[in-house]
Amino acid sequence: MTPLLSARAVRKTYGRGVALVRAVDEVDLDVATGETVAIMGPSGCGKSTLLHLLGGLDRPDSGQITLAGKQVSRLGERGLARMRRSAVGFVFQAFHLMDELTAVENVELPALLAGRPPRAARRRALELLDRTGLADRARFLPSALSGGQRQRVAVARALANEPLIVLADEPTGNLDSAATLDVLRLFDGLHDAGQTLVIVTHDSRIAATADRLITMRDGAFVDETRLTGGTAGSLGKLAGLES
Amino acid sequence: MGRLALIARLALRDLRHRPVEALLVLIAITAATTTLTLGLVLHGTSTGHSYEQTRAATAGPDAVATDVSASYLPRVLARAKQAGVVAVGGPYPVASVLMRAHGYTAGVTAEGRDQASGPIDRPDVVQGTWVTPGGVVVERSFAAALGLSVGERVTLNGRVLRVAGIAVTAASPPYPESGFLATPLAAGDEPGLVWLTRAEAASLATPAAPLTYTVEVKLADPAATTALAGADGFTGNWTSWQAIAAEDAKEVTNEQLVLDVGSWLLGLLSVASVAVLVGGRLAEQTRRVGLLKAVGGTPGTVLLVLLAEYLMLALAATAAGLAAGRLAAPVLTSFSFFAGLQAAPADPPVTAATAALVLAAALAIAMLATALPALRAARASTVRALADAARTPARRARLTALSARLPAPLLLGLRLAARRPGRSVLSGVSVAITVTTLVTVLIYRASHGQPPPGAAAAAGGPSANPISQVMLVITVVLVVLAVVNAVFTAWATVLDARYPSALARTFGTTPSQVAAAVLAAQLLPALPGALIGVPAGVGLYAAVSNGSALTMPSDQWVAAVVAGALLAVALFTAVPARLGAHGPVAAILRSETA
Amino acid sequence: MQQEVILAMLAKEPTHGYELRARLRLALGPVGEELNAGQVYVTLTRLEKAGLVASETTPGVSERPDRKVYGLTPEGQQRVAAWLTEVSWPKPDLTEFHLKLTAAFAARLADPIAIIDAQRRELLRRLRDAQRAALTEPDVSDAALLLEGIVLRLQADLRWLEACERTWTTRRNTR
Repeated sequence: MTPLLSARAVRKTYGRGVALVRAVDEVDLDVATGETVAIMGPSGCGKSTLLHLLGGLDRPDSGQITLAGKQVSRLGERGLARMRRSAVGFVFQAFHLMDELTAVENVELPALLAGRPPRAARRRALELLDRTGLADRARFLPSALSGGQRQRVAVARALANEPLIVLADEPTGNLDSAATLDVLRLFDGLHDAGQTLVIVTHDSRIAATADRLITMRDGAFVDETRLTGGTAGSLGKLAGLES
Repeated sequence: MGRLALIARLALRDLRHRPVEALLVLIAITAATTTLTLGLVLHGTSTGHSYEQTRAATAGPDAVATDVSASYLPRVLARAKQAGVVAVGGPYPVASVLMRAHGYTAGVTAEGRDQASGPIDRPDVVQGTWVTPGGVVVERSFAAALGLSVGERVTLNGRVLRVAGIAVTAASPPYPESGFLATPLAAGDEPGLVWLTRAEAASLATPAAPLTYTVEVKLADPAATTALAGADGFTGNWTSWQAIAAEDAKEVTNEQLVLDVGSWLLGLLSVASVAVLVGGRLAEQTRRVGLLKAVGGTPGTVLLVLLAEYLMLALAATAAGLAAGRLAAPVLTSFSFFAGLQAAPADPPVTAATAALVLAAALAIAMLATALPALRAARASTVRALADAARTPARRARLTALSARLPAPLLLGLRLAARRPGRSVLSGVSVAITVTTLVTVLIYRASHGQPPPGAAAAAGGPSANPISQVMLVITVVLVVLAVVNAVFTAWATVLDARYPSALARTFGTTPSQVAAAVLAAQLLPALPGALIGVPAGVGLYAAVSNGSALTMPSDQWVAAVVAGALLAVALFTAVPARLGAHGPVAAILRSETA
Repeated sequence: MQQEVILAMLAKEPTHGYELRARLRLALGPVGEELNAGQVYVTLTRLEKAGLVASETTPGVSERPDRKVYGLTPEGQQRVAAWLTEVSWPKPDLTEFHLKLTAAFAARLADPIAIIDAQRRELLRRLRDAQRAALTEPDVSDAALLLEGIVLRLQADLRWLEACERTWTTRRNTR
């Protein structure tokens, strides 16, 4: 089966000469439909840069990125925008909600900007908020929501245009452990519903929800682990109930 | 004292940190202070004094009878005797001719005089010589209007003559006679005054325009002109010297009126410009405020620190305005009607009162523009200020709901404009002020029979009209200030729109949609501003001219002004909008939070 | 003291008992203060009995008494190799893993980074299992609480493994 998202020899560098930084160094990646891939690594290893390249927010210096059969790296600004409109949803560490809009107004915004009729956009927004468990907070402003709730609104917003793939950049970076659990549950639910996810994180809990975990260091992939299938030791052993 | 010194030092350092903005604020306030200085300085000049001076030097008459037909002349002379004249000048033959000079055609009163001067009305020849055969002496204000100098050739009714000299007289009001407030003469009917030899003048008469006569008299009691010229100074053919002096004064009053109104308009625009410049800055100053408060600054001190910069700029603008106004005043008086009097008043002094008023005005402008944002910044809670909580835009539920129905660029544009309502309103006000000024100028020109700007040369009439020139200068300054304002507002809007635009682009909005949104955000307040400017201009003209008849300029001109203003706003916004729309999305999101 | 640790420390070359103690102390720092001299010798004796270690007596030089030198037997070496690749995670005892890395590095038996990565992978899988189990439990049940505890400990251990990785990468690169 052809992967939904495919990157080949993607490179992105900043600076020049002595100050040259290889943010992304000849990276190959395949993401199948319905798969959750987590990318972990120390700060500055280039994982966020890679995510921006995958989502068309930035252009690679060389290499190819293909999403749903279309060559992302070849598109112009307008083409990239259109692609993001229908194929990609973003979740950011800082949530990036508009403070002057209520939760539902935030969630319906991408649909409105994509030209959907207001009523349909509003209906879908309410559905998504319901799915993320925030139906009763739909008319709250972000300032009246906790961090975890805000991020869940952001996730709902990312789903507004029914994207093929959701890209999350350190989604729990600004959250405490309780809020992290909420988001974790959400991602788990999305995964079960068949949503393709690529999550960049340094939180091992989030990484553990993935099907595949990729470790990145200095701009390159150094390790890849399949997390589904096979485990060493029963839960009993984990809890210390061993002979 | 130490505290003040510290505040001054902080203010200076901040100004040096942002030189461009400081310069813009300085320019904005200086435009207003200069105009105000000019107005005040000219107020201070008394034309009465200058007219007296001219009258004394040229032995000006107490009353003048003009346009007297040959048959009527004896009656006029008899009347004069009855009223108790002590001396009579003339009668001088006068021909109404058409003069061509410098490509202009103008109606002219050509007065015939002797070589030797009479007892009354000895015009002061300021250039060249008095009347000679083949030579014509031109009245000074007329010469200034046409741009004539000694030695040039002019044609009177087809006869070529040489300009022999330029002279000043107190016996005739300056060219052009009609002013802002007076009933305008029939269009194009603004005769200038020239002197020729008696013989030449007589020979210029035609059957269609026969010779008339001018008689000038000196009375026993100069003040008792009402016997001849009635209470208003005009009766039949007679004009009193008081009436002529009043005409002179009217010109000045008109000019001062234009300068006063211009100062107000510029002052308002200046306030709007400074408010826009300041408003954006003070939002960033909240963190500074937080620091000051955290280290123990009282609200008073904090407010002072915020305002100190603008106080300094106001002081600087006062000095600059006083200097510029002082320099510009002679220029204005020289091409103004004063050319019709003997000597321009000595360099008008800038009195202490003037300086004080200008300073007060500059401070007022600065304070009006900065008071609200400064108070808001000073009152913000310390914690929030330190956390650099930039002012969160207020929630506008209905506007959000309304904009949801619009296409993407208008949706974003409306919401962008609503994020900073103060700035939107101010930019609309600026457009309104500019359009008001332009409409008023258009109405003035339409009402005074002048062809609209640009058509003057084609129609063949002299274009120089002192009041129009002053108007032109003020209009130009105002338009320049409005342009600076528009450019700065555009940049501020683009910067403000960076974050929401970047976010929108992650959802799939194209850069051209984003640029269009910024354009819409600027045009949305500009449109009502431009439309309001039209009736406002009409109202302003009506108020200033005390209800004298006004003629509306053609619809095309009004539409052109409105469209031009909107086009200018669009143009100044388009470039920064397009540049901003292509910025790197990820970097913008990283560096800013909502 | 785990037997495998002592074995690994002998892998580089045969060592005197006191030297072994010194190396351990060096590797453990303050944690090694509590190391009883006797413990090391007891373990050495046990290993000798099990046939994983052999000893030789070197003749004393001048006033120094005779000293025993301990070295690995072939079985001992096999045991060490197997131990290095094991990824079982005992009850919270970081010391063993820490010494495993030290020994592997000193004796050039294996790349410490590879050991850390392998262990990380294992822990992540365990974390995933525990987490999934925790999520299926109703929110406030006892089971969920226990699983939460397991998850959090695993998470802490993983963070330590990341720190190990950072340190050992530097150490390896400056070798």
